[in-house]
Amino acid sequence: MSKLVHLLGFVTLNVFLLPFLCKSFSPETPTDRRVLVLLDDLAIQSSHSLFFKSLQSRGFDLDFKLAYDPKISLQRYGQYLYDALILFSPTIEGFGGSIDQAAILDFVDSGHDLIIGADANASDLIREIATECGVDFDEDSNALVIDHTSYAVSDTEGDHTLIASDDFINSNVILGSKKIEAPVLFQGIGHTINPTSSLVLKVLSASPSAYSANPKSKLSSPPSLTGSAISLVSIVQARNNARVLISGSLSIFSNRFFRSGVQKAGSAIKHEKSGNEQFLTELSKWVFHERGHLKAVNVRHHKVGEADEPAVYRINDDLEYSIDIYEWSGTSWEPYVADDVQLQFYMMSPYVLKTLSTDQKGHYFTSFKVPDVYGVFQFKVEYNRLGYTSLSLSKQIPVRPFRHNEYERFIPAAYPYYGAAFSMMAGFFVFTAIYLYNK
Amino acid sequence: MVGKPESSNGTAKSGSNQTGSSPPSALPLNLKSDLFSSLSFKTLKLKTKQQELLLRVSILCLIYILAFITRLFSVLRYESMIHEFDPYFNYRTTLFLTQKGFYEFWNWFDSESWYPLGRIIGGTLYPGLMVTAAIIYWVLRFLRFAVHIREVCVLTAPFFASNTTLVAYFFGKEIWDSGAGLVAAALIAICPGYISRSVAGSYDNEGVAIFALLFTFYLFVKAVNTGSLAWALASAFGYFYMVSAWGGYVFIINLIPLYVLVLLITGRYSMRLYVAYNCMYVLGMLLAMQIRFVGFQHVQSGEHMAAMGVFFLIQVFYFLDWVRYLLSDTKLFQAFLRITVTTAVGVGAIALGVGTASGYISPWTGRFYSLLDPTYAKDHIPIIASVSEHQPTAWSSFMFDFHILLFLFPAGLYFCFKRLSDATIFIVMYGLTSMYFAGVMVRLILVATPAVCLISAIAVSATIKNLTQLVRTKSKVPQSGSSKGSGSSKGSSKATVDQSQPFQRNGAIALLLGAFYLLSKYATHCTWVTSEAYSSPSIVLAARGAHGNRVIFDDYREAYFWLRQNTPPDAKVMSWWDYGYQITAMGNRTVIVDNNTWNNTHIATVGRAMSSYEHEAIEIMRSLDVDYVLVVFGGVTGYSSDDINKFLWMVRIGGGVFPVIKEPDYLVNGEYRVDKGAAPKMLNCLMYKLCYYRFGELTTEYGKPPGYDRARGVEIGNKDIKLEYLEEAFTTSNWIVRIYKVKPPNNRW
Amino acid sequence: MARSTSKDAQALFQSLRSAYAATPTNLKIIDLYVVFAVLTAAIQIVYMAIVGSFPFNSFLSGVLSCIGTAVLAVCLRIQVNKDNKEFKDLPPERAFADFVLCNLVLHLVIMNFLG
Repeated sequence: MSKLVHLLGFVTLNVFLLPFLCKSFSPETPTDRRVLVLLDDLAIQSSHSLFFKSLQSRGFDLDFKLAYDPKISLQRYGQYLYDALILFSPTIEGFGGSIDQAAILDFVDSGHDLIIGADANASDLIREIATECGVDFDEDSNALVIDHTSYAVSDTEGDHTLIASDDFINSNVILGSKKIEAPVLFQGIGHTINPTSSLVLKVLSASPSAYSANPKSKLSSPPSLTGSAISLVSIVQARNNARVLISGSLSIFSNRFFRSGVQKAGSAIKHEKSGNEQFLTELSKWVFHERGHLKAVNVRHHKVGEADEPAVYRINDDLEYSIDIYEWSGTSWEPYVADDVQLQFYMMSPYVLKTLSTDQKGHYFTSFKVPDVYGVFQFKVEYNRLGYTSLSLSKQIPVRPFRHNEYERFIPAAYPYYGAAFSMMAGFFVFTAIYLYNK
Repeated sequence: MVGKPESSNGTAKSGSNQTGSSPPSALPLNLKSDLFSSLSFKTLKLKTKQQELLLRVSILCLIYILAFITRLFSVLRYESMIHEFDPYFNYRTTLFLTQKGFYEFWNWFDSESWYPLGRIIGGTLYPGLMVTAAIIYWVLRFLRFAVHIREVCVLTAPFFASNTTLVAYFFGKEIWDSGAGLVAAALIAICPGYISRSVAGSYDNEGVAIFALLFTFYLFVKAVNTGSLAWALASAFGYFYMVSAWGGYVFIINLIPLYVLVLLITGRYSMRLYVAYNCMYVLGMLLAMQIRFVGFQHVQSGEHMAAMGVFFLIQVFYFLDWVRYLLSDTKLFQAFLRITVTTAVGVGAIALGVGTASGYISPWTGRFYSLLDPTYAKDHIPIIASVSEHQPTAWSSFMFDFHILLFLFPAGLYFCFKRLSDATIFIVMYGLTSMYFAGVMVRLILVATPAVCLISAIAVSATIKNLTQLVRTKSKVPQSGSSKGSGSSKGSSKATVDQSQPFQRNGAIALLLGAFYLLSKYATHCTWVTSEAYSSPSIVLAARGAHGNRVIFDDYREAYFWLRQNTPPDAKVMSWWDYGYQITAMGNRTVIVDNNTWNNTHIATVGRAMSSYEHEAIEIMRSLDVDYVLVVFGGVTGYSSDDINKFLWMVRIGGGVFPVIKEPDYLVNGEYRVDKGAAPKMLNCLMYKLCYYRFGELTTEYGKPPGYDRARGVEIGNKDIKLEYLEEAFTTSNWIVRIYKVKPPNNRW
Repeated sequence: MARSTSKDAQALFQSLRSAYAATPTNLKIIDLYVVFAVLTAAIQIVYMAIVGSFPFNSFLSGVLSCIGTAVLAVCLRIQVNKDNKEFKDLPPERAFADFVLCNLVLHLVIMNFLG
């Protein structure tokens, strides 16, 4: 009886704890839950409350701390305390506690997401973190992005540093399926993407007439960053599928920009509401893996007609390959449907390249004949689509040549030779008989 | 068997025939002398023939044991382990054979070497050695000896060396007489030329192949001497064993036709030759084609065409002989038949020409062509030229490996020419051709050794026999006559003979003593050479410490064991091809290239990676899925067979396929340097960086600056090395083997 | 010239035939056997020339079995022929036994090689 009580108590305890257990980050539920927000000024918490509320309404636990708070830390005893980091502290010279540049980069390298908001007075630390992610801010610390043809029309004659940009990246995954009608208000510093980095993308670019310079002083030399090469908001999807969002403006997240209307200079349309809220909400959904996060499971291959996976194939075998791909919808795994997933049978170069057929429920399959070459091959699925996590699967399998008894036998063209050999044997018998008994 | 008084066998054979044998009665006699005398041959009352047989058998037994024991130095000094590089592959395949059985072995496709191409091991090796060791292992297991296959592998070569001495005895008996056979067996038991490749632990094809070679030759000579089909069949089987054991079987299939040709030309042919050669060729060829690696080469390769040509020639020859015999004598038919001969030769030549020109008959492969033209390999096939065993032989190597046999060889040739027979012609041809090849390539001293031993044995045996006859017959004449001048009718001549007899006898005794002295010096030299030069396992290095004590460097095995235990099972290791077999056998990891060197492009790719800058090399390594890189470095210990000394070969081989690698880039004024004056490409290439990483901080020798390379004797030029795409995984305790891990691509970049 | 050569050829044939008729019967049986083997080999080579040598191992084993048989039979003939001085010590039973043994080995290997 007491045992039953113990069991019951144990079960109820687990039931109570279950929601808390579910809230932690795990590969099964890739959406991050616990987010550390580092601010250099607590006022940001209220001035950017719309953005934060949109996150919290989706179920994120935001933990607001001052960036120089000596008690902050990302991990304790080797376990990470948070699943994502938002740096809205552009002026910070050094973080408090145990956080520093290396810790933040390790955080990203262990699979966690990062949002960096820089601004006009961005510190060197923030700039260095951004450089490590493949994004180079303008070296001139006083420079802002100025655009004299795409600025946002406002009542006061500004210095055209408040620009309205609608040069979005063309991707439904990143920005959502609904088109963003209104341009996005931006005021801050510009950056370029490091050409050697292959993982950075420009989400919001400046117009071809923009340039980055100090608005308060006259230009002494042509500006180094000009035109569409200037990126206003960039994303990085790392090889371990951690996502980083780098924005050159902190005010792009602010309530003021969210609520204000916008009219782009030179265009007659006046939008009631800028596109900032929609843009950043959708983008944050992407950054926090609510969209575009794929997983591939159940990689199976086997010979046609058999069920289990062999350790080695033979040349000219027929085999079947199947894989299931799912996409995280924010709450659950949905089957991912596409028609361009390809499989390579690869040994230093692809010998077989096939597009996998799908049953529309996330199951992809194909079958082909092993080529006539022996060696160590790999089943390679390289799926890199814009905005989606990269699937890079490879499974090694050797392919052996024929055994000595797997060649064809009794070839019709060789019957005369068989006949000759057997006739020699018969002749030998006959000869011995005749020779021995010859008188 | 109680013997009659045996002085009837007048020849001065063994044992002194004093007819006064002490009767074995005598209780009051001293027991000791009784025992001693009972052990002597006289009281055993054996016939001379039996005494001789007992002597011979006991001598052969001693030689057998001696041949085995003298090869055991490294087992006693270090441990029972496999030496060098190639034997590790043989050991691995033998292990596979004993574990999985013959059919799996025959069809083995190995995906762990030559990644990602794989290697069909079953079809690209000579299975004789492995099957032999496996059979010995199974027999011992059947007899309930629980041996490990490694012990069997280590001791296979000495066992077969002992068998070779037996075959040498029988061969010597066939050529000359049993005395020469005994001497041949004794000489070959300790000859350093043979010991070098058959020492315990050297589990390589040659250990078994020399036995098979000599055995085949012996059987063939026996077949030619007796003309029996059974012996010819035996020689065909011997040839089959040789084909299964070693690629050097090409020597047999070219020497025997050459021998037949010489006999035909000099007119010494006979019916026995026809029987022997034909049976051996047809059956031997058929049997040889059963080995997958050999395949159809006997009918398609240029190296085997001599045998086929002689086969056809011998048919024509004997057919004509038969026709001439049938027709008795008519000059008309001679002329007619001459036409037949010319047409036959013409047809043969046209067939050969068409075959070679159309490419159906493949030309001589590089390995064997470089024997005919020694400069060929250096220009065209750098891999063959880079092997140190393929260099031409220096006189010092000849002296080292043969000692007195070197001047006994011409003496033996002289004796052979004095008594020409089918067998002696054969041994002379074997000796001369093998000496030529031994002069072209160091490794082939091994093939020449049996011939040199046999011919030298003829010289020794004939000389000693003559000398002992001189000694013995002189002792008889004084007994029958009187030594102090007899004055009989034969007196004057006898007197003169008597006067010169003591001089001749003393001269003979002196010469005998000289001969024995030389032979004992030979034995000393052979033992010294075996102990000092040929018994090192080369995987374990030994040196003398400061106090004269022996210091052992076991770095290789330390590194392979580290690989085995600390890397994922499917990790791929890139190293130079020398170490491939050892890494697969001991480290149990996949390698990119290994000692088989069958794919030159793959090796050149590795050579290119080693010679490029780090950022170029990482591309190549990523394309080959390399996880670890292994280099061998001798700068701390002064070990001179390390990768920096082999580096120029990597450059040459890589540059042979990829012209972007140019050898002059790495040299300064044609000189190869690693110090400050070295070429900039040399100072920054991957091999340099991997070998000298962190070496600049190390002080290796008292009084020298840090970063002093003891193997090259200079201070290195680039001490501050930073690696960008690799990180150091393991360095052995004496820095001999260094393993680096390839870092995965940068996460955010 | 042609007439003399044809006359010579005729004379050649005649003397060959007369000399051959003098050989003992057992040798003639062996000769017949040899001719049979060589003819079979020739047929196979012609066939290979027409069709091509695809299963090369079958071709080789067929041809080599014929050639091997012929060669071994000739060796037997040499050993059994009483006119050969070298073999007068060899009992014909021993020669025949060797011959049978060699043929056994030959046919076994051919069977393995035939494919």
